[in-house]
Amino acid sequence: MSKYEYVPEPALVKGNHDFASITKLVTDVNLRPTPKLWYFFMLISNALLGVFLVAVGYLIWEGTGIWGLMNPVGWGWAIINFVWWVGIGHAGTLISAILFLFRQDWRTAINRFAEAMTIFAVICALMFPGIHVGRIWVIYWVFPIPNQMAMWPNFNSPLLWDVFAVSTYFTVSLLFWYVGLVPDLATLRDKATDKIRKFAYGIGALGWTGSNRAWWNYEKAYMILAGLATPLVLSVHTIVSFDFAVSMIPGWHTTIFPPYFVAGAIFSGFAMVLTLMLVARKVYGMEDIMTNDHMEKMNIIILVTGSMVGFAYIMEFFIAWYSGVEYEKAIFMLRATGPYAWAYWIMMLCNVISPQVFWSKKLRRNVGFTFFISIVVNIGMWFERFVITVSSLANDYLPSSWDYFSPTIWDVLTYVGTFGIFFTFFLAFLRFLPMVAIAEIKAVLPQADPHNYDENQEYHPHVVEIPKPQVEKV
Amino acid sequence: MSEVTQNTYWKSLNELAQNKEYKNFVEREFPENATELTDGVSRKGFLRVMGASIALAGFAACRRPVQKILPYSNQPEDIVPGIPLFYATAMPFQGSLTGLVVENHEGRPTKVEGNDLHPGSWGNTNSYHQATMLEMYDPDRSRFPLRNGEKATSNDFVAFAQEYFADRNKRVAFISEANSSPTFTALKQGALQKFSNAKWVTYEPFGEDNAIEGNLIAFGSRLRTHYNYSNADVVVSLDDDFLAPTHPNNVEYAKQITGRRKVTSTSDSMSRIYSVENGFTLTGSYADNRLRVKASEVEAFANALAGALSTRINGLNAFRSVSNQFTGSEFISALADDLASNIGRSAVSIGLAHSANAHAVVAAINTSLNNIGSSVNYLQVPSFDNQNNTQAFTDVVTELKAGNFDAVVMIGTNPVYSSSFNNFSDAIKNVDEVFHLGTYKDESAKSASWHVSRSHFLESWGDGFSFGGARSVIQPQIQPLHDSLSEIEFLNAIVYEEKTSGYDLVQNTFKGYYGARFENRWKDILHDGIDIRDGYDRANVRLRTVSPSQTSPVDGIEVVIRPDASVFDGRFANLGWLQELPDPMTKITWDNVALMSPATAASLGVENEDLVNVAVNGKSVTIAAWIQPGHADDSITLNVGYGREGIGRVADIGSENSQLLDPSEKYGGVDIYPLHTALFVSGAISKASGSYKIACVQDHHSLEGRDMYRKATLEKYKDTPDYASFKYVHKYPVPGMKEAAELGEDQPISLFDEQTYSADEPQWGMAIDLNSCFGCGVCVIACQSENNIPVIGKREVNRGREMHWIRNDRYYVGDENNPTAVHQPVPCMHCELAPCEQVCPVAATTHSNDGMNQMTYNRCIGTRYCANNCPFKVRRFNFFNYPKEYLTTGEDPDIIQMAMNPEVTVRFRGVMEKCTYCVQRVNRAKINTKIETGSPKPADGTVVTACQQACPADAIYFGDLTDENSTVAKMKRNERNYLMLEELNVRPRTSYIAKLTNPNPVLVDETNQEPAH
Repeated sequence: MSKYEYVPEPALVKGNHDFASITKLVTDVNLRPTPKLWYFFMLISNALLGVFLVAVGYLIWEGTGIWGLMNPVGWGWAIINFVWWVGIGHAGTLISAILFLFRQDWRTAINRFAEAMTIFAVICALMFPGIHVGRIWVIYWVFPIPNQMAMWPNFNSPLLWDVFAVSTYFTVSLLFWYVGLVPDLATLRDKATDKIRKFAYGIGALGWTGSNRAWWNYEKAYMILAGLATPLVLSVHTIVSFDFAVSMIPGWHTTIFPPYFVAGAIFSGFAMVLTLMLVARKVYGMEDIMTNDHMEKMNIIILVTGSMVGFAYIMEFFIAWYSGVEYEKAIFMLRATGPYAWAYWIMMLCNVISPQVFWSKKLRRNVGFTFFISIVVNIGMWFERFVITVSSLANDYLPSSWDYFSPTIWDVLTYVGTFGIFFTFFLAFLRFLPMVAIAEIKAVLPQADPHNYDENQEYHPHVVEIPKPQVEKV
Repeated sequence: MSEVTQNTYWKSLNELAQNKEYKNFVEREFPENATELTDGVSRKGFLRVMGASIALAGFAACRRPVQKILPYSNQPEDIVPGIPLFYATAMPFQGSLTGLVVENHEGRPTKVEGNDLHPGSWGNTNSYHQATMLEMYDPDRSRFPLRNGEKATSNDFVAFAQEYFADRNKRVAFISEANSSPTFTALKQGALQKFSNAKWVTYEPFGEDNAIEGNLIAFGSRLRTHYNYSNADVVVSLDDDFLAPTHPNNVEYAKQITGRRKVTSTSDSMSRIYSVENGFTLTGSYADNRLRVKASEVEAFANALAGALSTRINGLNAFRSVSNQFTGSEFISALADDLASNIGRSAVSIGLAHSANAHAVVAAINTSLNNIGSSVNYLQVPSFDNQNNTQAFTDVVTELKAGNFDAVVMIGTNPVYSSSFNNFSDAIKNVDEVFHLGTYKDESAKSASWHVSRSHFLESWGDGFSFGGARSVIQPQIQPLHDSLSEIEFLNAIVYEEKTSGYDLVQNTFKGYYGARFENRWKDILHDGIDIRDGYDRANVRLRTVSPSQTSPVDGIEVVIRPDASVFDGRFANLGWLQELPDPMTKITWDNVALMSPATAASLGVENEDLVNVAVNGKSVTIAAWIQPGHADDSITLNVGYGREGIGRVADIGSENSQLLDPSEKYGGVDIYPLHTALFVSGAISKASGSYKIACVQDHHSLEGRDMYRKATLEKYKDTPDYASFKYVHKYPVPGMKEAAELGEDQPISLFDEQTYSADEPQWGMAIDLNSCFGCGVCVIACQSENNIPVIGKREVNRGREMHWIRNDRYYVGDENNPTAVHQPVPCMHCELAPCEQVCPVAATTHSNDGMNQMTYNRCIGTRYCANNCPFKVRRFNFFNYPKEYLTTGEDPDIIQMAMNPEVTVRFRGVMEKCTYCVQRVNRAKINTKIETGSPKPADGTVVTACQQACPADAIYFGDLTDENSTVAKMKRNERNYLMLEELNVRPRTSYIAKLTNPNPVLVDETNQEPAH
């Protein structure tokens, strides 16, 4: 007998589910008549989407002057929101690709959901680089398209790297998501009773037959895409951080940015997944699949990444002092004590202090509290980007240029409007696509374990005997 | 300019086309647009695009407006399309002319430059001269005469004058602005002869009457004091801001003062400037020793100074008994010692507004210091009236009120506005006919029964003398744009009852001078803009007994009323360029404020933008407070010229509801004239409720211990000539130099591939001598005029979106109550390793072969990344489509468009812009040099940037760095040359020559501190 305890993994799916009940639980959401509440929320989301369209329309009509931008602060809410949404978009691919490669089976409950969130968050993010430029009608010049001007974009510019990084990330995430959806779309196709759904899901299912061959190809493709997506999880926010780190503005020009941005992105992404998951599992009765164990695991990731972010904040201060660069020192002192100190301390409170409560197991497993912290974290992460973007620009080298940035109503409306985009997509996703990877979740049921069957293919679930703790006698 | 009958090319384009816009323009009348004038939206639109575009009316929604062009059917002689022509003229201001050269494109003047030959200019200008271009093209100018408010023509006026002034017994009061023109003076005499019951008053709200009267006391005749600061080693300014454009001779004085302070090696010397003043003026900020006293105590200071000098030199015995609060002070005795040891090499001056007695005291000091003939001269000015005009004006107002006049004729002045303290508008109610000649339909025009539009000096003939007495001819650059008369044509119609062209009137005057040699000398004076053989005579003066003046210091709060650096006495109030030019000291645009010291503000419990009530003799104004470090305590400085109504869209007060949820903003400032007319008066100030948003372009006034501005005393420079070097300032060498030395390179190592330049290209560079710059801001306006920079309005300035390509940073150094101020012009640095170029995703900003950092507007998509990454923050973004607004809301864009420089692109919304080193001038010079000599490198001095050209201090050097003998290359080899932010290794092509001060060693105190490093 080992002197260590054997702690068995708790069952990933709670309740007494079998394959059929899982299929029913998930596909019912898509196949039953649309609940009224869904229309209500869709209406609100559409209204917000309308706000976004109006704000962008007015922006294009009048110019970027409708925002609070000005001479020292050339980037404001648009870039903050871009980085924030891209950050949120990190969780999905991390969960589906990296956790997949590490064989973390608990991911199956939330991966579909998180990937969808990723894609919609990246869509929101991609709006901003497009609309924040002065002349939106020539934005295509950032792409290396052969043209009569014989002009390439400037490959030295981090903004160009951004274009490639984010668009690649978006493409791979979308493909990854879609490939994972194929077996489930086939399930829906087979379950659907009306012609339109059958046809639509049938198109999406790509003629999936469920044959061994199909499964073999599927598993290979999924594995390859997971391998492709894994470096992208790290690269995309690294490159977003280059927008700042490669420039020479004090407070931006720091080598710590890539790891610190990636950690922050995972931090905010997991918080957003939690926010959405806790609501969705309640509304759709998915508590058996998305369990408190999942929530606890995610809270641990939030605690880890939050501590990394906090470490980075403190390290920035140390390096500013250690570098001996007076401008670097000044900007960090100004962040903590200057005109934007309020934003800085909101950031510190939300990002560094608040996740530390998750050292407590009781709080990690408290649904209401987790929901609250998940929102606090995303507020904090928005302020982190605000502090980085605005305070560095507002107080750079020449004191004569210093000025105070204030947003206008249009900054606010554009930001709020992106939630319209996000939730419109997300509600449509919840309604029309399976929010849980049915095929994958079935694979983690005890019924899927061949060891639980005898020679006659009879199902005999293996009962885990939990040994009594052996306390070593001294 | 031999062509007198100018073609009306620019008007004829549309005239020929007879298009709808032109017809609308011709038909339009002032009253029709009265509502539009007060409309917030159209005003906003106008302001945004005052910079305007060359585009004609097009489609509002079009991205690029459509423009119609027509070719010359008959090519005029001398005109090559695209090649500008330059003609000499001169600008009258405050009774003096400044010689100018005006750039003309295809018959329309576009840019004012100084006249190299003219002693009032020496090739340079001030901000008023530059902005006068916009005045001519101002759409709000008076466009036609008004008879009792109804539209009339100038012919109607002449016909009326023939009838009305036929009666020689008419009792006529002439109120004229100061005018040095001999033609005008002759007409004045003609008027006084014709109308035996007439009175003539020269009225300037901020004229030199007291100075003239002071000389009458001192020397027995009315003379002008003319300084020659080139000969002055010690300069004492007693509240005399002679470096500011508000002084009629500031260009010449700035040239002289800064010329005496050019230091190129440790063996050079420089003059020492003492300044005694209440506010913080440009002269005060340029001075080596500054003493802040209340304006009402300055006269006492003059007496005390004379008293202190009386024990050291002869001639001031009458002052031995002077004893006041300044007697025996350290400052006075140090100053007196300095003056006494520089006999014949000093100059003492006192502000024009100070009392005649004070001027007499200063005249006595200068005489006793033996300065007369070297640094101070007294000039006989024929255009001076033989009367005390201040007194005469008061008398005329009294007589007008008593009904002693039949008619009043106001020539170029606006007393209804500027003399509201005297209730001038009531005075003219007792008169049958009120005639007014003016540029705008201003307050006086509205009270007049006959308002006649005044021709701008750029469109009319005239003559006159510079402040120092050099004779010039004002020659028009363009046919009058509107139905207007010049002041000599106007007066001629009254006196001789006929319409004679200004050309004939001026020629007649000069025929009288030149006689038989007229033809040649007339051509010469037109060509040169000046006749150096002619001028004012110097008076041989004998000092009479001058006794200490009776001073009346104000106990408690004094209210000091001064002209404004931007709008002067209000005459420039409708010029957007000047309104948006930050005040040289406060950096405030668009408004006037109540300036006070930090201590006074603290005692009142007010902060910047809090409203205060300033009360004087029962009248009061409510105005925003502004704390001016270095201001004298218990002294409130107010600038006039604001608070206008019905002048024009730029000048008028109003409020503007901007974007949704933004607070409404007021603009236009406050009229100060109702308070008082003299320099200072006892008053009271109290905090009022509420605040008023002020658009100030510089929020942060401390250098934060940074090294952007480097200065030292002359003594220190002689000890440590490298005081401005990075190594001296930081105690360690520039980072990357050690590594570079190992590689055998002379510049810090770089991460990036360095640009290589071909040897046959010139390499442009700029050096800015901080020791010369005194911060007037003419460079900003010159740049704005040359480069079609838009005026964006108060709201946009408040949001921090100022568009100026060159800005003038002003920092305070030292104690908040008594700091020194330093000025630093910042254009684009044209970095060789430009951080902006690295980050642009579409390569819209790149380097040229001749070493300039260039913006390709057409390629720019407007990410603003370049502006973010610019360590100097010199890039400017078109947040809105300023020119488009103009096309849709302006009433007749074709007028303001003519002020634009056709060689410079008008930028569209969404693109970045910045200083180009005047690339259009550079390339013109390169092309010309290539044609003329075959060399790709223009000779030194061929390329002059607009800022450099305008600078009266010659603080800006520009040229080819590959030419070792070019001035700029020499300046950059000077040990005082330094680079801003050198440690970033962006290698700016623009460098600075560190500042030197020459304070009196006895008076070293906190006012002479160096910026801390």
